[in-house]
Amino acid sequence: MRMRTRAAYGFLTPYLLIFAAFWVWPIVYSFYLSFLATRIQPWRFNPGMTWGRLVVDPAFANALKNTLIILVIQVPVMIALATLLAVLLNSQLLRARGIMRFAFFAPVVVGEAAYAAVFRLMFNADFGVVNKLITGIGLPRVDWFASPTAAMALIIMAVTWRWVGYNAIIILSGLQAIPNDVYEAATLDRVSKPRQFFFITLPLLKPIILFCVVLSVIGTMQLFAEPFLITNRGGPGGATETLGLFLYRQGFTVLNFGYASAVAYTIAALAIFISLVNLWIGRSPK
Amino acid sequence: MRTTLGGAALALVLTAGAAPAFAQSGEITVWSWNVAASALEATVEGFNAEHPDVKVTVQDLGNDQVFDRTLAGCAAGGGGLPDVLSIENHEAEIFWAQFPDCFTNLKELGYTEEIASGFPEFKRVELEVGDAAYAMPWDSGPVVMFYRRDFYEKAGVKPEDIKTWDDFTEAGKKIAEANPGVVMTRADFNGDAEWFRMIANEQGCGYFSNDASSITINQPACVAALDAVKKMYDAGIITAADWNEKIQANTAGTAASQMYGGWYEGTIRNNSPDLAGKWGIYRMPSVTADGPRAANLGGSSLAIPTVSKNKKAAWAFVNYTLGTNEGQVTMLREFGLVPSLLSALDDPYMQEPQPYWGGQKVWVDILETLDEIEPSRGTPFFGDADGIMIAVQTRYLTGEFASAQEALDDAANQIALVTGLPIAE
Repeated sequence: MRMRTRAAYGFLTPYLLIFAAFWVWPIVYSFYLSFLATRIQPWRFNPGMTWGRLVVDPAFANALKNTLIILVIQVPVMIALATLLAVLLNSQLLRARGIMRFAFFAPVVVGEAAYAAVFRLMFNADFGVVNKLITGIGLPRVDWFASPTAAMALIIMAVTWRWVGYNAIIILSGLQAIPNDVYEAATLDRVSKPRQFFFITLPLLKPIILFCVVLSVIGTMQLFAEPFLITNRGGPGGATETLGLFLYRQGFTVLNFGYASAVAYTIAALAIFISLVNLWIGRSPK
Repeated sequence: MRTTLGGAALALVLTAGAAPAFAQSGEITVWSWNVAASALEATVEGFNAEHPDVKVTVQDLGNDQVFDRTLAGCAAGGGGLPDVLSIENHEAEIFWAQFPDCFTNLKELGYTEEIASGFPEFKRVELEVGDAAYAMPWDSGPVVMFYRRDFYEKAGVKPEDIKTWDDFTEAGKKIAEANPGVVMTRADFNGDAEWFRMIANEQGCGYFSNDASSITINQPACVAALDAVKKMYDAGIITAADWNEKIQANTAGTAASQMYGGWYEGTIRNNSPDLAGKWGIYRMPSVTADGPRAANLGGSSLAIPTVSKNKKAAWAFVNYTLGTNEGQVTMLREFGLVPSLLSALDDPYMQEPQPYWGGQKVWVDILETLDEIEPSRGTPFFGDADGIMIAVQTRYLTGEFASAQEALDDAANQIALVTGLPIAE
């Protein structure tokens, strides 16, 4: 038995070494860094410039607020859409089901940079197809990248477009795991289809939906590519700057590694906290 | 063998000053952006006439990417950096403050005081720390207004009558009326504070004092600048557009003017060749009728990372491109980069009328503002201050602050929090 463990660890060593060098060490080191003032060489111990600043920094508060707005609006909308989509994709009436499922899953396969470039063109205020459509039906044109509200709406739409199919596929797998005889029994008892959905499908799907919510919450906490690429680094004027972008700006635009480390730890803590709340809300009654 | 040869070359360069002494060999890679990259590429031919064995590869990564990747490269101990780096002057000091070991002291390669004194002081101050010179000045950006002659004429607006920003606003309304679908000008309100910085610099104000010891963003001259921007924004004569959207607007003929550093000449000329003869330039307006009408925006330098495997060849290229009239004037002629090498300003090319610009002697008009430009120091905190200013500008334009003074007081407090510098009285 002991021999076998040793052999197992022997095989694991290369991976564990890499894990220690590129995961464990940076995590430990950045915790140390988060107490240093790193504006100017040499770096010195001064948590007031990192953790102290975090508490009062309006730019951090702004990034946190933006992230929470996306969290509160985008995640529920996307999960609701994904559930609806999953039910439709599961329908017996649907033809070419494989192609339909792939079509909704496809946005995830597209590279972030590529789809961001296409969104930028489509939502271009002067020449974009979206504004042409909007003005075509008589509505006023929208300055998608210049208005803070419109830019935020754009980010939410883009993220939803990209991830709704992915979540729908996960929920679909949950739907298929629900045994058919439950529905047969309900139909015999003359339970209507909508009631079947709310009183059978949804409760049985709860663990899967919760899983999707936790994944989406973590994804939103780390949201970076869309506001970086589509709204030009969280523009206009920080209106779509997320925690991830704020972290990047502190780390790699103004080179304040100490503060960036403190921000990174805060983001991780928030993600864990929100996920725990989710799990607590979704706990199964004893 | 290589070291002795290199040493000999170094000794020779040191004694002979700028003389392009030894033919270098090997390959060097250069990082740059947009027309600046194209301009560097244009000098390669002249450089290869003297150093035929050096293969120069210019990579156009885009402005933000060069900055980010240079920082990341330096943070990683120089990994992945090329042989020559383009660095914008106002963003330069953060590199020397954080990574002094990442860059070669050019004085060790032959950048003598004699060569350095060929550049104006305001270009050198951000690039030299004590005895070390980490980069060589490249171009500067005297601000002018680029305008569409045909749009102005159709509205009966004469550019020489536009002396103040209020005049500019009135002219903008007339031009929009006479030319449906055309807006007076565009500014990158989404990701930059360029208009504020240009007008503030014109009025003699910047984010920081020129000794980099205090925050000056809420001084009266800066308040006047932000006020001017807001008035034009409210009047609807400026709409938001980033770098690429401005170019789209130029080629589509939906913008009547663009304000930028002189280097924008090349961008207009190269992106809209079929609009030859329709563009002209005039001096930027001011806050008051007899106020100052000159500012600087942008302007860059070239540096050589310590990890470069071929520093001699890299230096030979930098010194040819930036240190000779031939190199500098080539970049001006092809892509409109304004030389900061003083001797290049006397080149006869500067006096020539330019066919693209309707025969206007644009370089005379652009260069005559050089003497009037107030220096404005970037400091190592430029990125912080700029990020804060862009956010405050958006909030002010969308009506969150009662006045420009209130907005800039808020910006000053935020910058103080981030940098620890005091706010100037």
